[in-house]
Amino acid sequence: MTLLVALLASTLFISNAMKSEYNTIINSYPDIVITNQKALRDTTINEDEVYKVLSIKGVSSAVARVWGHYYFLNGDEKFLILGRDEFETYSNPLLNASSNIAKDSMLVSKEVKKSLQKSYYTEYFNFIKADGSIKRLTIQKTLERSNFLENSALIIMNNDSAKEIFEYDDHEVTDLSVSVANKIEVAFIAAKLKILFPSARVSVKDDLRVMYENIYNLRSGFFLTIFIITFFTFFIIIYDKVSGLNSEQRREIGILKALGWRVGDVLNTRFYEGAMISLVSYILGIVLAFIYVYYFNAPYLKGIFLNNYDLLKDFRIVFNIDFETLALLFFLSVPIYIAATVIPSWRVATLEADEVMR
Amino acid sequence: MIKLINTSKIYDKNVVALDAVNIEFKEGELIVLKGVSGSGKSTILSLIAGLIKPTTGEVLVNEKKISKIADHFVSSFRQENIGFVFQKYNLINTLSVAENILLPLVPLNLTKVELKSRLENVLKLFDIEDKKDTLVKNLSGGEQQRTAIARANINSPKIILADEPTANLDEKLSLEFIDILKELKSQKRTIILATHDPLFFELDFVDKVIQVKNGQIIS
Repeated sequence: MTLLVALLASTLFISNAMKSEYNTIINSYPDIVITNQKALRDTTINEDEVYKVLSIKGVSSAVARVWGHYYFLNGDEKFLILGRDEFETYSNPLLNASSNIAKDSMLVSKEVKKSLQKSYYTEYFNFIKADGSIKRLTIQKTLERSNFLENSALIIMNNDSAKEIFEYDDHEVTDLSVSVANKIEVAFIAAKLKILFPSARVSVKDDLRVMYENIYNLRSGFFLTIFIITFFTFFIIIYDKVSGLNSEQRREIGILKALGWRVGDVLNTRFYEGAMISLVSYILGIVLAFIYVYYFNAPYLKGIFLNNYDLLKDFRIVFNIDFETLALLFFLSVPIYIAATVIPSWRVATLEADEVMR
Repeated sequence: MIKLINTSKIYDKNVVALDAVNIEFKEGELIVLKGVSGSGKSTILSLIAGLIKPTTGEVLVNEKKISKIADHFVSSFRQENIGFVFQKYNLINTLSVAENILLPLVPLNLTKVELKSRLENVLKLFDIEDKKDTLVKNLSGGEQQRTAIARANINSPKIILADEPTANLDEKLSLEFIDILKELKSQKRTIILATHDPLFFELDFVDKVIQVKNGQIIS
């Protein structure tokens, strides 16, 4: 029972941590993102379009963002590059916190640093541009936080450096992020933006939320399978217990009755026995799951939820235990086990002592 | 003190274990019920202990119709009045000697001091003090029997019922049991012994030997 509780608890702990992380990511998204499209494929947009956006009533801010992915051939890994402008305020708190990036410098996550070190890049890195030329950036600082599920292989640099690596023109940016003062008006303003930018894709935060939930649900499907299997195993064990005591247990109850124990005495003892076993199993299971998930970082199980992206192997699960999860685990294990101990004993204890000993 | 009045017991599939038996046992007597296996001796003991109810007739113990009272009260009656020594001792193998002996006292919620005092008394009386922490499954046949008798005596019952107590013992251990019986008899307990061991039929301190055959009292 301890192992079953541990497995169930691990599943829930990881699942909750992931969900919480996704929520953090979604909350850091802007209300609206405008991405230009050509032939229904994403393409760059002119940063001056920001002024058009700002002219719409209700828009509190609009930012031209430069970001994209870079394939690091040596490590066979993909880095996420975020550009930032010193004078802008971003919806992503990490970008806002990363001010004062020197020219031709960058901030890298721990995962990126480790990856670069494997290829002996300890002080700087040479980005290879599309034309084959090299753009060298110095590693200014390593980012502390590495709990970004979306991409822990993160590099933050100035917009100018990012544009140079992506080979953008001066006025080209990846997309425009829009903040709306009154959140009720988001859909309305998004509709206006669609009219304003007929060839662009206008995504609102709720669309992203749905997308993330779909990804999360797909991954949690594996977890759900484990959860259901564990749950059924638990119930099969319980059913086995409920469907009858073995001959030795029947004999013991018969002996106790013959010695003058009342049905209530037998049930009391069985209740305390069941409560003791299930409570100890519950606590041990939770502790084991806690150690497995938060100390050992859930090897094997974590991989089911995350991409097989090598850099994510260093992702640490954020501590996230709430009362509801513990209560759910408690009610799924302790009362059921007690009932499974007491009910068959009650059935046997109400028979004649002579009958159960025969 | 104990009366079976026109008592019959028919088990499932119409097996007649006892057929209209009338019998009386007086206080302080040591009575031996003799007969072959299946003759009905054990059924008489089970009826007196209230472990089973008669199909017809009545069982009276101290003027109380125990065959008519509810299970809950039969348990209390058994707790206060009966010490039962079973043929296979019926000890709980996963418990120690002391734990087995104390089982009848668990529902009484006695103090630790009282429990300890009673335990020490019976351990001493039946000479198993040195085995008190041993698991019963590790005991010899004689030690298991002494544990079972100690358990039957822990609540100082007025009536001791023993069902084939020497069936699994050799002659030496059976003679030891006779000594224990003598001791219990001297304490004015009412003892009813069901056995087909001839060793008990000629004992000078036995008050009565009753022959049971095919569910009936022959003599």
